Amino acid sequence: MNNSKTTCDRFEREGLLQLEAGEPLDSHFETCQDCLQARADYEQLAADLSALGSEDEPPADWQAQTWNRIDARQKRSSLRPRVSWLAPLVAAAAVTFLILRTPTPLKVPDRFEVFVESGSGVSRSLDAKPGDRLVLRGPTHDAVYAELRVYRDDRELILHCSTEPPCQREAGVLAATIELPTVGRYQAVLLLSESPLPEPTGDGLSSDAASVLILGAGFELGGEIDVR
Amino acid sequence: MPQEASEIEEQALEALDAGDFRGALTLLMDAYGNAVYRFCRHLVADAELAEDAHQMTFVQAFESLQGFSRRSTLRTWLFSIARHRCLDAAKINRRRQARFQAVPELPDSPLKETPPDERLAAAARQKALNRCLGKLQAKVRAAILLRYQQDLSYPEMARAAGEQPATLQARVARAMPVLRRCLEGQGAVP
Repeated sequence: MNNSKTTCDRFEREGLLQLEAGEPLDSHFETCQDCLQARADYEQLAADLSALGSEDEPPADWQAQTWNRIDARQKRSSLRPRVSWLAPLVAAAAVTFLILRTPTPLKVPDRFEVFVESGSGVSRSLDAKPGDRLVLRGPTHDAVYAELRVYRDDRELILHCSTEPPCQREAGVLAATIELPTVGRYQAVLLLSESPLPEPTGDGLSSDAASVLILGAGFELGGEIDVR
Repeated sequence: MPQEASEIEEQALEALDAGDFRGALTLLMDAYGNAVYRFCRHLVADAELAEDAHQMTFVQAFESLQGFSRRSTLRTWLFSIARHRCLDAAKINRRRQARFQAVPELPDSPLKETPPDERLAAAARQKALNRCLGKLQAKVRAAILLRYQQDLSYPEMARAAGEQPATLQARVARAMPVLRRCLEGQGAVP
């Protein structure tokens, strides 16, 4: 690449776009020395970009790790009752319910507690380290359906439970304790609803929030925990 | 697309037709696993986040294979997923760096001390290129990588990014001089 300042910058202003658009270059670029040099420089840059990371490889066991994640997600999904044959009935009931009564959002609990337990004790700090435990406790206000969810970096759902372990629901409180496995930003959510809650979309917190809020369900975010 | 790649596409589609989703994903992992990793690694910059986004690309691909519409090649479709996953990871990395001033993943090395060996000089240029790419917006970086590192055509990039080819052409054409000047500023010349 040439360090000298070019005096004609038409190649940068016009030639590059013509090349990217697959158009023929203006005849100017065949004779202008600055443009010919600039073109040679960009061809070198393109070659360097093409070779960028050519020796990079993912960790040797990445395929096994990916299959483990896939299998774990499938297992979680299969543990939940399959009620697909009930879907039309549920849908009809839901429509009737909506016609008879516009759902009003449940009162969001005043206090959804999220804190960290480590070897040194309980902390209400928003910082933690891998291996610490995340403790969640939310008042259910007698909602028919209550769920706890925890997302890592807003995308990965690492907890999703209502009455099955690690969730425990009793005396008006839904609680769970999980280990924080790796670094990341963890966001806990408490969901309360009078109608069945939709399955997670798999697209992360924002999409799940949208699908839940449309039902008029209660939705409360806990404090964000940074694990590092 | 090279013959080998089209054969893989064909085999993967046959596996899909037979309902063998695990077989189809295995073919995609073998064929495109490294390329998707390279893309994520240079888009995200943080190794751990890039590895996570790389794996999640294939997890999401597996869960979406049944609905693959065949309006593009499986490779383009896979890069569409990878682009979303890795842009999210890049966003997280940016937030993290802003909050914790993380140490740059690829430390600077004084280029003038690089021995005059061609391979080492090329490696030094690549390091400088990485640093300069890191200064571009993530969406711009993604476009550059898809175009030049992954050799996608603009129609393929448009499908992967959900944008118009002309928009992407302009984005790349505008970014190249920025990259060039950044490299010049670092003395990274051939």
